[in-house]
Amino acid sequence: MPKCTINGREIEVPAGTTVIQAALELGIHIPHFCWHPDLAVDGNCRMCLVEVEKAPKLQIACNTAVTDGMVVHTESEKAAQAHRTTLEFLLVNHPIDCPVCDQAGECYLQDQYMDHGLHESKVEPEEKVRKRKVVDLGPIMLDAERCVLCSRCIRFEREVTGTNSFEFVNRGDHTQIATFQDRPIEHNYAGNLADVCPVGALLSHDFRFKMRVWFLEETASVCPGCSTGCNVTIDHRDGEAHRLRPRRNVEVNKSWMCDVGRQEYREIGLDTRVTGARVRRGGHWEGTSLDDALDVVASWLRGQGAATAFVATPQGTNEDLFAFRTLADLVGGRLEFRVGDPQDKVRVREDNVLLRADRNPNTQGCLDQELGRTGVAALLADCAAGRVETLVLQGPELLRLPDAVEPLSRVAHIAVMATHEGPELDRAHLVLPAAVWAEVDGSFTNFQRRVQRIRRAFAAAGDAQPRWQMAARLVQRLGGSFPAVSAREAFALLAAAVPGYAGLSYGALGATGRALGAPGATEAASGASAGAR
Amino acid sequence: MATRVVTVDRNLRTGPMPIVRGMALTFKNMLATWFGGKASTVQFPEEKRKTSGRYRGVHILTQRMDGTPKCVACYMCATVCPAECIYIESGERPEKDIEKYPTRFEIDLLRCVYCGFCVDACPEEAIVMSRENDLVGTTRAELIIDRDRLMDRNKLIEHGPGYRPEEHDVRRPVRIAALERLRKEHGIVPGMPQRG
Repeated sequence: MPKCTINGREIEVPAGTTVIQAALELGIHIPHFCWHPDLAVDGNCRMCLVEVEKAPKLQIACNTAVTDGMVVHTESEKAAQAHRTTLEFLLVNHPIDCPVCDQAGECYLQDQYMDHGLHESKVEPEEKVRKRKVVDLGPIMLDAERCVLCSRCIRFEREVTGTNSFEFVNRGDHTQIATFQDRPIEHNYAGNLADVCPVGALLSHDFRFKMRVWFLEETASVCPGCSTGCNVTIDHRDGEAHRLRPRRNVEVNKSWMCDVGRQEYREIGLDTRVTGARVRRGGHWEGTSLDDALDVVASWLRGQGAATAFVATPQGTNEDLFAFRTLADLVGGRLEFRVGDPQDKVRVREDNVLLRADRNPNTQGCLDQELGRTGVAALLADCAAGRVETLVLQGPELLRLPDAVEPLSRVAHIAVMATHEGPELDRAHLVLPAAVWAEVDGSFTNFQRRVQRIRRAFAAAGDAQPRWQMAARLVQRLGGSFPAVSAREAFALLAAAVPGYAGLSYGALGATGRALGAPGATEAASGASAGAR
Repeated sequence: MATRVVTVDRNLRTGPMPIVRGMALTFKNMLATWFGGKASTVQFPEEKRKTSGRYRGVHILTQRMDGTPKCVACYMCATVCPAECIYIESGERPEKDIEKYPTRFEIDLLRCVYCGFCVDACPEEAIVMSRENDLVGTTRAELIIDRDRLMDRNKLIEHGPGYRPEEHDVRRPVRIAALERLRKEHGIVPGMPQRG
């Protein structure tokens, strides 16, 4: 393993590591535009020039492998001058329209100008080469004037999606990126183009002019869109989510996420959220407090034993599922979760990159906790035969099943925890308001059996509560015990009770989760490198 | 910093002279007002005090030649505002060299502290202050003023411009000089594709 010295600090790295990576490990940030940790090295922006002793000229840190005894200076006068002049070149034709540019605040040009540039421009605004602005490419807006020609988008299209939409056109000063005849970007990973673009040349149409990024607060979480469990950051302000961004996790999603997942934030703030409990009395709905509603459910369950049934949801966190399982075991009813058979699709790919056919984030968690016992079909048969008196649903999926309408009409009491209103809720007799994923702490287990944390970004809508809390309160009302006041404690209870999760805690999960011994989950997480179309 | 302790003599051993001196001042001002015409007050609604050209009164949003707001909704004023009284929502303009404009721009004048930071922060000279200082309303909602009221130039002509960047005259329509020159001298309309 070669050992090198960067800015006077020694580090030993595996052979083949580049200087920019070694520096990052030391916490030294070398300015760059075209280098991206999950894309091939291109070395075209020349921003990452560093001084290497005994080398005749400055070297680019992104494409220089560390060799033994190498001595690197990233902040020497020569390197600093190179950074300044390179940046000045990149800014020659930049329109400096930061006031109207959505990238402002997270722009490499802005950051690096403040860190390394601070030069006076030698070019008058009216002398700059004008290029195309506001070109609508479907989910992406192209502004060729702001582009620094780093080719990150071109490499993303080539290496990750294999679609090759972008190319450079024209020469010299007039070089710009474009798609053929301005065709829109049609694949499911367009949002990543806005993320990889270090400047404001490619911006998200969805986020366009919505919010200035410096107002946004970040919460690290996991996308609930499918069983892949891409790590994301929720950007939110004043209790409102404004966008989701991928968060790097080499084991799961690298730096990417799909556009289907990106849209998940829209669900959170909809007007159709269930914000209070309600119970059906004499044929019509009556609003009630959550406590009263839970009392009603407890009275339905008390002493019913085998005449009760519980259906968990793969949308719930592991904590939700465990509390629900505790409740079902305490009452002595049967417990199911397989609605629409998500377990058959949990590892099935929907495309070659990230998206999977099972659109539930936690089917694997349900399987790990052995929630599906006899199958939903058997349960519905029992309902039709009148053997089920009370049915508690952790999510409304079963109510949406066309085949279930008839059998469920024979059940005397149906209580459902729901996040959003829908016509299916009218088939229940009691509705409990459930918090959505962005409003709860918890964990999801993805298709690889990697347990990853989700974090509460903001308060739940109205009276809504995490599902595990409602289940825990029912357990207490029925004389059982669920000694947890936080999701962290609920997870500790889970870790003590569920075999595969022994020894896990929120501390052990860390920022990128922890993989469990994985039966049949050896498939690589991201087909990004292998899976071009 | 050391605290300086001052002992105040509260015993009334100073005699009647302080009172006499104080009343003399009062009467002097009274007589000057009655006979000398040197009032220190003004007859407010009819008569107004003169304020300086840098007075920080109610804000004005400046306009382009076509009467649309000059503001490009960059949120700099909302960011810098210490009272957090500026609310902006932005939309898309058809002109490609401008792109963005505020669809809503509201200032809560009840929260505003009239510090003028918004004027300093604005990169477009789109927000300036007038000398209007007699703002009244019968409800709170009336004093949250929206984009169209902020663009009301008559107010500005009535009260005069207040705090604004340098010598910029807000009553004059504003042009972007560089773009004008580009169009006139080179025939280039910014933002249009240059193929070739």
